[in-house]
Amino acid sequence: MRTKLLAAAISMGALGGASLEALAQAKPDVLVKQRQAAMTLQGKYLGPIGAMMKGAAPYNADIVAVNATYLENLARMPWDGFVASTQGEKSKTKPSAYTDAKFKAAADALESATAKLGAAARAKDEAGVRASFGAVAKACGSCHDDFREK
Amino acid sequence: MKPGEIQLKVWDLPVRLFHWVLVLLFAFMFFSGKVKGDWMEWHMRAGYAILALVLFRILWGFAGSTHARFSSFLAGPSACIAFARKLLARAPAPSAGHNPLGGWMVLALLLALLFQTGTGLFSNDDILIEGPLASLVTKARSDQLTSWHYWNFNLLLFLAAAHVVAVLYHAGFMKENLIGAMFTGVKRLPADAAGGVVARFASPWLALVLLAVAAIAVYLIVKRPF
Repeated sequence: MRTKLLAAAISMGALGGASLEALAQAKPDVLVKQRQAAMTLQGKYLGPIGAMMKGAAPYNADIVAVNATYLENLARMPWDGFVASTQGEKSKTKPSAYTDAKFKAAADALESATAKLGAAARAKDEAGVRASFGAVAKACGSCHDDFREK
Repeated sequence: MKPGEIQLKVWDLPVRLFHWVLVLLFAFMFFSGKVKGDWMEWHMRAGYAILALVLFRILWGFAGSTHARFSSFLAGPSACIAFARKLLARAPAPSAGHNPLGGWMVLALLLALLFQTGTGLFSNDDILIEGPLASLVTKARSDQLTSWHYWNFNLLLFLAAAHVVAVLYHAGFMKENLIGAMFTGVKRLPADAAGGVVARFASPWLALVLLAVAAIAVYLIVKRPF
């Protein structure tokens, strides 16, 4: 039952791109706040999994399943906030993020890494979680390196 | 050796070891700070080591051998200007310890390293990694200190490059083998270069004790067992 609900959540997330039309009306400062909020929450749910990977907290498959699923959805959310109208707003986003094709590639990398992690987490596959966790942190980091100001 | 020159021991072992270990660690910090990823754990450990070394060097600057002491090499403005004039004219101006400009560079480097390691303790990467003291401040403050940590590294690179250029200038144009001296501790100098100062060398055991004090201080800062 839980898995079905989670699967439904994922597919709704996947359809989220359809709401882009409505977003085009949103104010630039709101768009910036929303994309930052999505990333803040990504950090919130990544943290406990990271602690388990380091051994700083005991492995808890249920927490990992919930967090990784939230993460998988959250990973899809920030991107429609990176529109040209937000370039004038105060943020750490480098101007190249709005023009460079690598930005979309980096976003896609995060989506696919979190999808793999989510799948392993919901299958209660600890080895799979451990194997796919690194790619998630790496995806966050490399996009920041390329597109976020120091 | 030219006539009238003597071999003078100026750099004690603690100063020389400190210098070269720092060079290696600094190079590692450049690499690990750029590549990040799996290297971050070692980046932080090396940072703690550098902090301990810098704290040691500051203590040694008060308690160490003559030419290691700040009081022996931090010169006033007139001495610095006079020395700079000689440098530009490529006139010989050998000094037993650090020359007036070099002395201030030592202090600048130590302070910049202190700032780098200090801000590092409070930094975060916005993903999974944070310094041991990051939890003591707000996220906004940590972000500010992280930004300074990044930008200060550019200052450090500039200072280090200036230091290397200066040393090469001394070697090439002033015929002073400063690099070799920092390995062997011995400078070839005109007999009167020491200016009547007879260097006293502090015990290496004192250096070990002070290094241990510095290491314990860093441990307490990082682990905060209290």
